[in-house]
Amino acid sequence: MDVLANSRVMDMAIDIKGDYNDSMDIIERYPREKRYTLAILQDIQRKYDFIPREVMVLMSDYLGMPISDIYSMATFYKALSLKPKGKYIIKLCNGTACHIRGSESIREELETILNISPGETTEDGLFSIEVVNCIGACALAPVMLINEKYYGGLTEEKVKAIIDGIKEGHR
Amino acid sequence: MNVKIDGKYYSGNKGETLLELARRNEIEIPSLCYKEGFEGLGRCRLCLVEVIEGNSTKTVSSCVYPIRDGIEVLTNTKNIVNMRKDIIFLLLLRTPNNGYIRKLAEEYGVKAPSRYLDMEREEDCILCGLCVKACEKLGTNAISLVNRGITKKVSTPYDDASKDCIGCGACAEVCPTNAISLVEQDGKRIIWNKTFDLISCTRCGKCYSTEEVLHHIDEQLGVKTQEYLCESCSRRLVGEKFKEAFQNLI
Repeated sequence: MDVLANSRVMDMAIDIKGDYNDSMDIIERYPREKRYTLAILQDIQRKYDFIPREVMVLMSDYLGMPISDIYSMATFYKALSLKPKGKYIIKLCNGTACHIRGSESIREELETILNISPGETTEDGLFSIEVVNCIGACALAPVMLINEKYYGGLTEEKVKAIIDGIKEGHR
Repeated sequence: MNVKIDGKYYSGNKGETLLELARRNEIEIPSLCYKEGFEGLGRCRLCLVEVIEGNSTKTVSSCVYPIRDGIEVLTNTKNIVNMRKDIIFLLLLRTPNNGYIRKLAEEYGVKAPSRYLDMEREEDCILCGLCVKACEKLGTNAISLVNRGITKKVSTPYDDASKDCIGCGACAEVCPTNAISLVEQDGKRIIWNKTFDLISCTRCGKCYSTEEVLHHIDEQLGVKTQEYLCESCSRRLVGEKFKEAFQNLI
């Protein structure tokens, strides 16, 4: 059995292409138990803004569980992504209240300003748009959430100002 | 343990599930995701039965329900049949062109109105996950259920030819709706986007397994296979040895 385990590790070492060596620091913060998989995935998502393939291999090796299981989990949760997400993740609410108060035109405005559709990320890796169902802030409708911050009572002008503000901070 | 099923008493063993007890006694309960030898998955829900215990009645999946002494089970009430029909109806909408599901629908008299049916739909998988279980138990955990909601499917990570897959075909073998493509031609087997060379039996020359499977078996058993034999040849060999030993005894 040991021989098998070692050969698996050798096989996988070839797979590691990108520089995700520091991901081991995150993984090793947790005990080698299957039940920490989701917690590790969340931390990895936070650090790299997505779940790199190479890190899944490292996790599979560390936790002693098949890659297919980790992949299954990573594709199940909406909070985890297999493609790189932007530094700023815009979650635009399209719940009932926001929808009635015009979130569709806010979405159009966002799409025009950033030149991407929901689910995509800008080329500079700065922004991603996600349309979500309700973020529980209906009184602020139409509302969006950028990383941890809420922006309520949106108008097309306000959206432009907010995005410009963030872009400005990054020059 | 005594269990009353459809009016008759049967004696069961501790830890046995209702479906196991029923199958052992040739009581028919339909199922899709159950395979003897694996624990029940409780996914397809077709094996629903009614369990009466004391004053309460509940509907359970018999493949995952461990029997208890004194319970009464009804496998074919109007209620249960209606629920099964609903399940089959939904499966039929998902896999309108699948022979197994169509046959099942016919048996239960389930007809889907044409406004719901998309006959163009080429889907055979009912997402029961039996193949994933088979891969876990017999293979190498190469496949899993990925994504969720309407995009959920069974696949290898990133839909690639999996490094872990040994091409044993256990997934295709157990699939109740024959949804997994396994192609064999010119000494090759293609499954999950991966091509394997087939090994032929050293006695009869029939192609029967992949090299990876034989290595996997060797690793599991901690031995080295001396001769590659197909199922019927290896049976014959055991028979011959047995016969020889028996004749020597006389």
